[in-house]
Amino acid sequence: MSMIIRGARLIDPSKQLDQVSDMHVQGGRIKSIGHLAEQSSDLEIDATGLILSPSFLDLHTCLRDLNQIQKGTIASETQAAASAGFTHLCPSPDTQPCSDSGSVISLIKSKAAAAGFCELLPVAALTQDLKGSQLSNMEALAQAGCIGFSNAGYDIDNNTVLLRCYEYAATFGLKVLVQAQDRQLGDGHMHAGATATRMGLDGILVIAETLSISRHLQFMQHTGVSGHFNQLTSAAGVDLIRQAKAQGMDVTADVGIAHLCFTDTAIEGYQSQYHVQPPLREGSDRKALLIGIEDGTLDAICSAHQPHESAAKCAPFAATATGMAMYDMLVPLIQKLVHTGDLTWPAAIRALSCNSTKIAVGTSTSLTIGEAANLTLIDPSHEWTLDASSQLSRGTNQALAQQKLKGRVQLTLKDGLVTYKR
Amino acid sequence: MNNLAKLQLTKSGELRHFLTPEGLDRIMLERILDTADSFVVVGNQEVKKVPLLRGRTVVNLFFENSTRTRSTFELAAQRLSADVLTLDIKTSAASKGESLLDTLQNLRAMHSDMFVVRHSDSGAAHFIAEQVTPDVAIINAGDGRHAHPTQAMLDMLTIRRHKGSFEPLSVAIVGDILHSRVARDQIHALKTLGCTDIRLVAPHTLMPYAIESMGVTTHSSMDSGINNVDVVIMLRLQTERMASAFLPSAGEYFRLYGLTKERLSQAKPDAIVMHPGPINRGIEIESAVADGPQSMILNQVGYGIALRMAVMSMAMSGQMQQRQTEAKQASSPTGELHI
Repeated sequence: MSMIIRGARLIDPSKQLDQVSDMHVQGGRIKSIGHLAEQSSDLEIDATGLILSPSFLDLHTCLRDLNQIQKGTIASETQAAASAGFTHLCPSPDTQPCSDSGSVISLIKSKAAAAGFCELLPVAALTQDLKGSQLSNMEALAQAGCIGFSNAGYDIDNNTVLLRCYEYAATFGLKVLVQAQDRQLGDGHMHAGATATRMGLDGILVIAETLSISRHLQFMQHTGVSGHFNQLTSAAGVDLIRQAKAQGMDVTADVGIAHLCFTDTAIEGYQSQYHVQPPLREGSDRKALLIGIEDGTLDAICSAHQPHESAAKCAPFAATATGMAMYDMLVPLIQKLVHTGDLTWPAAIRALSCNSTKIAVGTSTSLTIGEAANLTLIDPSHEWTLDASSQLSRGTNQALAQQKLKGRVQLTLKDGLVTYKR
Repeated sequence: MNNLAKLQLTKSGELRHFLTPEGLDRIMLERILDTADSFVVVGNQEVKKVPLLRGRTVVNLFFENSTRTRSTFELAAQRLSADVLTLDIKTSAASKGESLLDTLQNLRAMHSDMFVVRHSDSGAAHFIAEQVTPDVAIINAGDGRHAHPTQAMLDMLTIRRHKGSFEPLSVAIVGDILHSRVARDQIHALKTLGCTDIRLVAPHTLMPYAIESMGVTTHSSMDSGINNVDVVIMLRLQTERMASAFLPSAGEYFRLYGLTKERLSQAKPDAIVMHPGPINRGIEIESAVADGPQSMILNQVGYGIALRMAVMSMAMSGQMQQRQTEAKQASSPTGELHI
């Protein structure tokens, strides 16, 4: 089957491309780009006013399968991801059971393949059962298709064990991913600041993040491991990454879309939909994160998608589960940042696609003739309401439920096949 | 109307839940104090019962132990002639795995009119009023380290009865501010009632971050904290704070922050001393002060019943009014003419 997408704004920051053009897709690949008025194909799409970019890769997501299907299944959540423009996802290793064995990795990968929406490039557990005491079978897990190793939201308290983790990863040139938060200092429910104090909620200080970043940076520097930090939240955290990069370290970082859009004041009135870990911080932190994306200190934007059933969020704040179901809201949130002048579409696409793909697999997908047609077509002006009939994630923890939103994916292609069409 | 006022008041501005003084205006707080004043008189009569809540069911839901608060709420409800049921949830449903949501919905199905809620999670009463049983009047009897509005308001009643106006007063709140659910509400209430000099005194380990944003000054020394104040409010120090590394020892705490006669002499000569109780003699306050002429500690207990009667009767009446309005709206669809 062939397809011509006509009149879209093609954006590919990896090639400094930003122009209105047509694209011809055939046999799963990009066949031609340019003025293609003379050509015809099986399917013609009028994409006037729409944005066509390389498809997105998510560096941090939770799909809930295998044992938490009340929250989401691989089929439901990968479909929701496709509707947000993703073709590749890196699920976090804190699955149930935990992603510390080749069989779990193979199972989740094959479930996603059967559903047909996204390819999984899992992050495996750095230690067995994420317990922080024994190394996981890293080499075998890499063979099974993992792109890196992380201990998810669990600290490795013992520095000797952590050193061995890094040394072993260095042996095989494997990447270590870090969700930077000191476990003891991070034992709270929201950012430690005026809002937490007034609401009487236990606060999490910024140094919970910076201490952990500094600690891991030292191990990365000592062992030469290529490191990646997931979900930075603070201005001070961004500064640490900036310094490490300036020193020439092989380190990258991402930020969750929630942290780019919301601050701790959203929790006012005990709004459990904004109960996330790591916590939403202050306006000055949010600003520093946006600057980090703009100047490239922060390489990527991840979804940090964490779907929940409604009961998980229906309790006194501290007792509610953390996380937001993000796939249904992601593109409207990006569009909102573009609208307010906080972000540009090229910067967003660089962070959601070019850089994230490079971090996960080493090379970027790009809008290049002959490349696999992994594409996302976005209608930035489409207006819609997020409700039960329009959402695809099984998660009911949609912070923007019932709100009028602007911006939506029109079409997602993976290797030329349509994985989502509105 | 701000969100907290919206949640706590009926459309016509009557109290229907009492979750925190935050968001309520000065007129409402003064009405609560005026109503409480009238109940102080009832407490002094030979027959202490009034029929304001006759036929109404009040359920005391204590998810966390508190003998003193619980008994004053029980007594207050009984003096208002309500039927009172007290549930110690820790030993009942919650331990069988029933969620807070299910417990409350069951109690609502029993046609309860008011829940008095104490819970260890900040925002618990708020959550119940907003999402679980908005048609049952909710009185917050303490949630986590967030709020304890009846305690804060009985402290305001004590101050008003003994000091008159709030405007010229300097008030020091001393001790474990970090874990105190009362301190936050005292600050809100004092500010709304016109007090402009509120000082918090504690070591940094027991001082919440960014508390200055609430319009207070912070002091790490008792000497600057209570110098020339009119009111000293001492907070209870939980002994487990030593084990969890907030403080080195009870002895050091008393030496630096304990209220002694000598220290109290730095306050105004007619300063009053308050404490929510139960007091730790020799840890936060010495007996000579606790039992001395400036101490209001036992007066506070008596005012506590009056204040709780005031809030319960006001919220019940507001909630009943709200129910009637809603029932009326439900039975008369817009556009239909009733003659």
